[in-house]
Amino acid sequence: MRSWDSMEDFEAFLDDGGLVEPDDDMPDAYREAVFRFIELHANSEYMGGLTERDWIAKAPGLTNKLTALAKTQDEIGHAHLLYMVAADMGVKTRDEMTVDLLAGHTTFHNVFHYRAHSWGDQIAIAYLVDAAALASQQAVFKNCSYGPYKRILRRIIAEEGFHMRNGEELLLKMAKGTAEQHEMMQEGIDRWWWPSVQLFGPDTRPDDVLLRWHIKSERNEVLRDRFVQKMVPQLTAAGFTIPDPDLRQDPDTGRWVSGEIDWDALKAAISGRGPDSARRLNDARLAWDGAAWVRSALDEAAAVPA
Amino acid sequence: MKTYEVFLKRPGKDPFTHVGALEAPDDDLALSFARDCYTRRSEGDQMWVVAREDLLVADPVELEMADRPHRHNDGTLLRDLRQAGSQPAS
Repeated sequence: MRSWDSMEDFEAFLDDGGLVEPDDDMPDAYREAVFRFIELHANSEYMGGLTERDWIAKAPGLTNKLTALAKTQDEIGHAHLLYMVAADMGVKTRDEMTVDLLAGHTTFHNVFHYRAHSWGDQIAIAYLVDAAALASQQAVFKNCSYGPYKRILRRIIAEEGFHMRNGEELLLKMAKGTAEQHEMMQEGIDRWWWPSVQLFGPDTRPDDVLLRWHIKSERNEVLRDRFVQKMVPQLTAAGFTIPDPDLRQDPDTGRWVSGEIDWDALKAAISGRGPDSARRLNDARLAWDGAAWVRSALDEAAAVPA
Repeated sequence: MKTYEVFLKRPGKDPFTHVGALEAPDDDLALSFARDCYTRRSEGDQMWVVAREDLLVADPVELEMADRPHRHNDGTLLRDLRQAGSQPAS
């Protein structure tokens, strides 16, 4: 078993580009911090998958239904992969993670605490939220010090790329659509712009261990700013407006500067006090309870000797 | 439930690569879950699924110790010899 004599040695190993593997005798603080981060990611994929599932029936036309189906499988698949990686860290079992999620003891991303009202919202999610999530994941993948997480992220990122492309396709279709479609899309952007910007989180604190231990490779504010620089011109070019009255372009640098960000909204959402938190969690509990017969059938299958 | 490890081989010359793990009650369902989780977009043309308890796992420290300097040749000596040219020592 690989082990390190001190935190200094361990950090030197990480700074040197070392990858930590599940059997390594890693410092408890590292194990705990990385586990919490992966659990949050897994929970978010799971909650995202359930949301996507709601749109299989509601998506307009067969092609969009098929895409919703594929995306649902992807998101639930990502949750599966991530829960395995998290469980192998030996902090909690998969069952314990599910119980904690459904009891509201653990968190998931802010964007899954809001309601998707219309097809326009669903496209705004595919375009804005998926882009924001992908940017965060790419930044983690780039320099990630935990081997199993880095390897599974490669696959997740590839699949999120499909989703983002699909989001942009649908957005551009709406942009070229009827006045009603255009309006529906604008409403979606108006509802999802801020939650997407907030997804990156407040400015990274100087003592953030996730940055020091090479889980994150970029500061939150850098990723957030890059997102704004990319999205504002794209949305504007497609004929949409950004719901930020204080958004301005710096005359010298040409960079877009956001108005003040409401971090209380982020805190409220993550702590389960978002506009749709209760319904979402309840939905997840219903899905879990509804599938109890599948789990008991699997347990019975496992109990039968081959 | 048992834990299984999944290995995929992409079409072509690549070797099998470990892609991840999953939980399943038995071997048949492990194969089925592995297809659902890991090969929804033709990520491989061959797949191995192995129960984790059947894997023999080497100690990374012992692996590192199996390496010996005399099995390597980093070319330093050769470079020095070439630079010295072929004149016999006088």
